[in-house]
Amino acid sequence: MKITQSAKEKTKIKILQSAVDLIIEKGFDNASLREMAKNAGVSNPTIYNYFPSKEKLLYAYIEQKHKEAIASLQEIEDFQTYTLREQLQTLIETELELYLEDREFIIQIADMVFHASGLKMGKLYETNALFIETVDEMLSIAIEAEEIAEPPFREHMPKLFWDYYIMVVAYWVKDDSEMFENTTQLLDHSLGLAEAVLHSDMLSKASDLGMFFFKTHMLNSLQKFATKKESFSKIKRKLGEVLHG
Amino acid sequence: MDNALPTGKLSRGKVVGKALLKIGAKKTKRFVTNGDKTQNHEAIADIIFDALGELKGVSVKIAQQVALGMPFLPPAYLEKISKSFNAIPSINKALVRKIIKTELGLYPQDAFESFEMTAFAAASLGQVHLATKDGKQLAVKVQYPGIKKSIESDMSLIHFGMKRFAKGQNVDHIIGEIEERLYEEVDYVLEAKNCAFFRENIDNKNIIIPKVYPALSSEKVLTTSFLEGLNFDSYMASNPTQEEKDNYAQLIFDTFFYALYTLKHIHADPNPGNFLFLENGKLGLIDFGCVKRVEDDFLTQYNQLHLNLLEEDDDQSIIKQYVTLGMIEEQTEEEMLTFYREIIKPLDTLYKEPLVGECYDFKVNNDFSKRGFEMIFEVQQKQFHSVHKLNEQFLFINRTLLGYYALFEKMGAKIETGYVKNLMKEYR
Repeated sequence: MKITQSAKEKTKIKILQSAVDLIIEKGFDNASLREMAKNAGVSNPTIYNYFPSKEKLLYAYIEQKHKEAIASLQEIEDFQTYTLREQLQTLIETELELYLEDREFIIQIADMVFHASGLKMGKLYETNALFIETVDEMLSIAIEAEEIAEPPFREHMPKLFWDYYIMVVAYWVKDDSEMFENTTQLLDHSLGLAEAVLHSDMLSKASDLGMFFFKTHMLNSLQKFATKKESFSKIKRKLGEVLHG
Repeated sequence: MDNALPTGKLSRGKVVGKALLKIGAKKTKRFVTNGDKTQNHEAIADIIFDALGELKGVSVKIAQQVALGMPFLPPAYLEKISKSFNAIPSINKALVRKIIKTELGLYPQDAFESFEMTAFAAASLGQVHLATKDGKQLAVKVQYPGIKKSIESDMSLIHFGMKRFAKGQNVDHIIGEIEERLYEEVDYVLEAKNCAFFRENIDNKNIIIPKVYPALSSEKVLTTSFLEGLNFDSYMASNPTQEEKDNYAQLIFDTFFYALYTLKHIHADPNPGNFLFLENGKLGLIDFGCVKRVEDDFLTQYNQLHLNLLEEDDDQSIIKQYVTLGMIEEQTEEEMLTFYREIIKPLDTLYKEPLVGECYDFKVNNDFSKRGFEMIFEVQQKQFHSVHKLNEQFLFINRTLLGYYALFEKMGAKIETGYVKNLMKEYR
């Protein structure tokens, strides 16, 4: 019997939700996949088919929230009339909104990522493909529509934005203000600043300045190094000693 | 470009500090040149407003409150207020969506049939969006997040600044009063209650008060029916006839006293932004962020005093009533008489001026606010070091009314006093 894609998706979401509930109840370390399977009403082999480990389940959760957030964005009728800043802000606010019902779970995860050694920050990067893709698309459209000029390091922007997003989540986890309005304000003001920088062309001016220094001074020095072969290899030797003890 | 609020106490402190420095410079200059005092005061007012404008957000509201305390401001000054009103940071689409979801539990597209993400008007500490539901047009007022918190930090700074400016005079009660009003104004639940109260109790077919939708309202979102009309400036620009203007002024004037004497509540914010000029001479009242209740005992005394003022009673008897009302501190008779003649009398003479005759034409007396402005500064120059707390209800009523007079003057309207004086006499 063939299981359809949508049935598979449904089972996955069911497992994720019961996993989140169990982790909130028992903590990440004490919640077993076996019990999660039981709570979700699936067999043990089934849950391992979906999630070989608890970590994998966690990443799947984060990916799932990206999916839901983007689906929510697609429901906004006039989303194309939003400015780039408004689109990005909406993306993050929507993700946080989705996290809200699982806040205790997110707090545990954040704790593991930022403090304990259980989870590696780097691993989280594997979950961000959809997020980065979406941000990349928003950016491309804004550039194409000439809302902003193409910023330098354009290709790194979406990843940088994801790092920023992680920082906002970390702030939100510690936010004890009413309705988390401090997070909302942090987001509003910091994105306002980013918007101002993007609009002012400051980034490309800064990179022009950087290039100027690099070309006129650094490049010169490098060439001097290159011509003075002797001293250059001396430095290389020294470096080797340091590196290899 | 983004209008980021200067955040954190430090940056705000800097702006206030800068303004105080500038005031210091102006004062010195005046002593040197011994120039025109009024002009100098305007300059100082300008500086304060610049600084408050730079602070944005709550401070704009504080500036408006300060202005309310001094209704006779030169037109340039009033223009500054309306400009600073627009300087409140706008709430972008992402934020509007987020606020509606947080406050009403649903995203705008689900909470309403349609929702305009771009605001059509600025409101006190927020903005107003047009929406529809069940075929009805609605006005949805949305408040910027975190306003309540920043009131506290802003006020402590203003307090610090005012203390220096007030040269040892006690300003705590003024600050306390402004703070209280601000907290009231950011509470949309309270505003909804006040709006519903006025809608239910004002029985005048020419006064239109929007209907509140409690299911679509919260502490930071207020949904009411939408009224289609012109704001004060657009109305004045539409060249209304003299008769129309007179009717509107009369309506505002009579309604104020009707609410005072019959409902014991006043809409205590004479900001022209709270009126909408609708079709067929109807007037919309739209902002109930500042409603004050007046107590029976107070009102009886207040009414008696004003009737006696109109009957030109002697100073001694007037002073006694002011003491009962808590407007004059009990001292030796001589001290009280001096205080009355120097400080209070110029004010109440001005206050009762439009009420003396059967009608009062602000077009003829078009220097009413100018005289008021000069007189208030003259009184302030006298430097009475009083720590006496004045009666709040008294101040609210007179301030609001003086604010309306300034508005009538701007309209060049004529009012008749018969209805109001009748209310006063009947209340006795």
